[in-house]
Amino acid sequence: MSDLAMNSMNNLVRPKLAAIVTAYYKYSHAQHIVDRLLEGYGWNGQHHYPPMDVVSLYVDQVGANDLSRERAARHPGMKIYPTIAEALTAGGSKLAVDGVVIVGEHGTYPRNQKGQTQYPRWEFFQQVVTVFRDSGRSVPVFSDKHLSWNWEWARKMYDTSRELGFPFLAGSSLPVTWRTPSVEMPLEASISEALCLCYGGVDSYDFHGLETVQCMVERRKGGEKGVAWIQAYRGEKFWEALRDGVWSKPLMDAALCRSHTLVPARAGFTQVFPGVEDMRRLVKDPVAYRYQHSDGVKGTVLLMNGLVRDFNFAAYVNGRSEPWSTQMFLPMPDGRTTLASFFSPQVNHCETMFLTGKAPYPLERTLLTTGLTAAGVESLYRGQQRYETPHLNIAYQPVRESTFWRT
Amino acid sequence: MLTRRSFLQTAAAIPAVAASQPKRIAMLATAYTPLSQAQHMGDRFLVGYPYGGVWRMPEAKLTSLYVEKKPEGELSGARAREFGFDVYSTVAGALRRGGKELAVDAVLIFDDAGEGGLFEQCLQVFEQERRGVPVYQDRQLAHSFEKARTMFERSRRLRFPVLGGTSLPVTWRLPAIDLPVGCRVEEALMVGVGEGREFHAIEGLQCMVERRRGGETGVKSVQLLEGDAVWKAGEAGRYSKELLISALSRSDTPLGFSDADSRPQNLVAAGQLQVLARHPAAYLIEYRDGLKAAVLMLDGAVKDFNFAARLSAPRQVLATQFLVTPEPNATHSACLTQKVEQLIAGGAAPYPAERALLAGGVLESCLTSKEREHARLQTPQLKVAYQAPAEPQFAQA
Repeated sequence: MSDLAMNSMNNLVRPKLAAIVTAYYKYSHAQHIVDRLLEGYGWNGQHHYPPMDVVSLYVDQVGANDLSRERAARHPGMKIYPTIAEALTAGGSKLAVDGVVIVGEHGTYPRNQKGQTQYPRWEFFQQVVTVFRDSGRSVPVFSDKHLSWNWEWARKMYDTSRELGFPFLAGSSLPVTWRTPSVEMPLEASISEALCLCYGGVDSYDFHGLETVQCMVERRKGGEKGVAWIQAYRGEKFWEALRDGVWSKPLMDAALCRSHTLVPARAGFTQVFPGVEDMRRLVKDPVAYRYQHSDGVKGTVLLMNGLVRDFNFAAYVNGRSEPWSTQMFLPMPDGRTTLASFFSPQVNHCETMFLTGKAPYPLERTLLTTGLTAAGVESLYRGQQRYETPHLNIAYQPVRESTFWRT
Repeated sequence: MLTRRSFLQTAAAIPAVAASQPKRIAMLATAYTPLSQAQHMGDRFLVGYPYGGVWRMPEAKLTSLYVEKKPEGELSGARAREFGFDVYSTVAGALRRGGKELAVDAVLIFDDAGEGGLFEQCLQVFEQERRGVPVYQDRQLAHSFEKARTMFERSRRLRFPVLGGTSLPVTWRLPAIDLPVGCRVEEALMVGVGEGREFHAIEGLQCMVERRRGGETGVKSVQLLEGDAVWKAGEAGRYSKELLISALSRSDTPLGFSDADSRPQNLVAAGQLQVLARHPAAYLIEYRDGLKAAVLMLDGAVKDFNFAARLSAPRQVLATQFLVTPEPNATHSACLTQKVEQLIAGGAAPYPAERALLAGGVLESCLTSKEREHARLQTPQLKVAYQAPAEPQFAQA
């Protein structure tokens, strides 16, 4: 255990954190994540105040809706710096923080011809690592969502963290939020096929759908072995694939039965089970990612805007013909809530890492889902061709204990 | 290896299609209007509902309907035509389906007036025929505890099961916890919201504390406080601020600054609760076994239902949110529909109707306290004793 962790465990030192974010406004990921570190949040039936301090903040884009200045005024322990290096060194020459939180989501960044928003997560990470190298030491890093839109960069981020030996946590809140029902995939389960029926856009919520599936299937017998290929289906090809049974319709039906936001297929009804024709009418631009792990397990993520607004998981487990299913529940601030409380377990896992010096779940999960997101985009870009993914030969073991929100 | 939870999930899988002849349901409603509880539950007996990860077609079907009112846009005629049942002009007609004898196997009652009129008419038919069938009564039998108790006793004499209450006790919980049966509860607190939802909040509290050691024994006294008196009572320790913070820590909907810029807040510590909840009400409840509980209605501060209790054995604070899911699905009503199915199929209520009876009695007495200048009232009539089922009844599958 590092000195930092020892000190923290003894309550001698509150870790100092630097937050490096693209934009800090209402409902931006930076607001949800950094606010929880500053203001505390509901946890285990208390208002939990994290035993650590955000002392530095870098905000890449400060617009009219910015909240970072208001937050800094109310939390004077947090100084805003004009560069990432200064945030990490507190204006000095050496690393002066015990942990780094990178939130490269939201803000105005260019989109490339493949439809990927070029959030500067890699660029932020590079600047952080430069300070680590110059200082001759590294500290734990959290990076929100997928590592980068660019697979090669993502891989380098992973490799760099291993080379320098610092704990690195990343990914979506979907694996760690509430579930309805509150169930965990049995460890060492035999899984033949898994599916997430959700909503959102390409290079966006598709990543959350992939993390939803991955946090479950990684618990299968033998652990994760990597993914061999992926194929995207969009628009008419989606409906053809559904008709042809490319993915299991019963799994899709089970996932639909977990939704709390199923758009009624018939006017005047509150909830009816939709037929395929209903879905065609409701979902104008469906997208499916179908992929196969190297051990043969098949995965599917369905983005069905217009049909649901939640993340629903179903799988065939332990040879049973009835699907095993749950919902990864996001209390969304889209009118339903004022907080996006699914960030609370994610922030709590960050705290654990900053206190113990250990990432609570494997970075390999997010390396793989980052690669799958980029590969799904690539398949779409190449005319929905099957795309071989030998580079996603990523093997890892899950943590045994459940890390989703249950308490 | 299967965990207990995953095993239950598998074991709970129910065939999606009923094998035997469906049971016949009569629905008695003030009106079958869009997004009413009558529609949320009535429709599910026509088109099915999600339960346990399958689309379940109930083993019971709506076969007759009585509605008191047919406001513009109501659905009774459309549903009757599409699903092939009749709308009757009297309660007796719906129960006898035009014949001379009771011709249904169960009754669902959605009575917005809350005076017990529909249940009373149903009882009269049952009494004439000297037999009853299982009845689900939405919310409570009647606002008047005396009337509700009398009707409940009449149901007991005819030996037909009654299920009462709202979907709050049976919906999903965040986290998915129940009080351990037989635990010692030192103090309990419920935060609720919504005009006309006081019953929901009291029932939410009741479905938790009824699991304490010794079971439910009834309520000794109540007092309703409003306005500044609510905050003063907190300062005086008449309810626990620790539990209030715990309950609010489960909320997904703090208002004020959280509404403005989505920051999480400790509303109590920051003094914001008093700023936001401009018309607070505290329903202070003292049970016959000494347990003290409070229901705080805090409109303006939050928009959800949250519970906290301090247990002495084992010593801990437990807190959870009763998840009210969004319209139009309102999937919490699917959880309740499944309980009604259990009532109809098994001929026994999955949890005691005394819960709703007592919750209704507490509400009525609290409103009397308000009329009597917020005085503390002894409630000897609320000597309602019952045992909660050991198995948790909230949504877990």
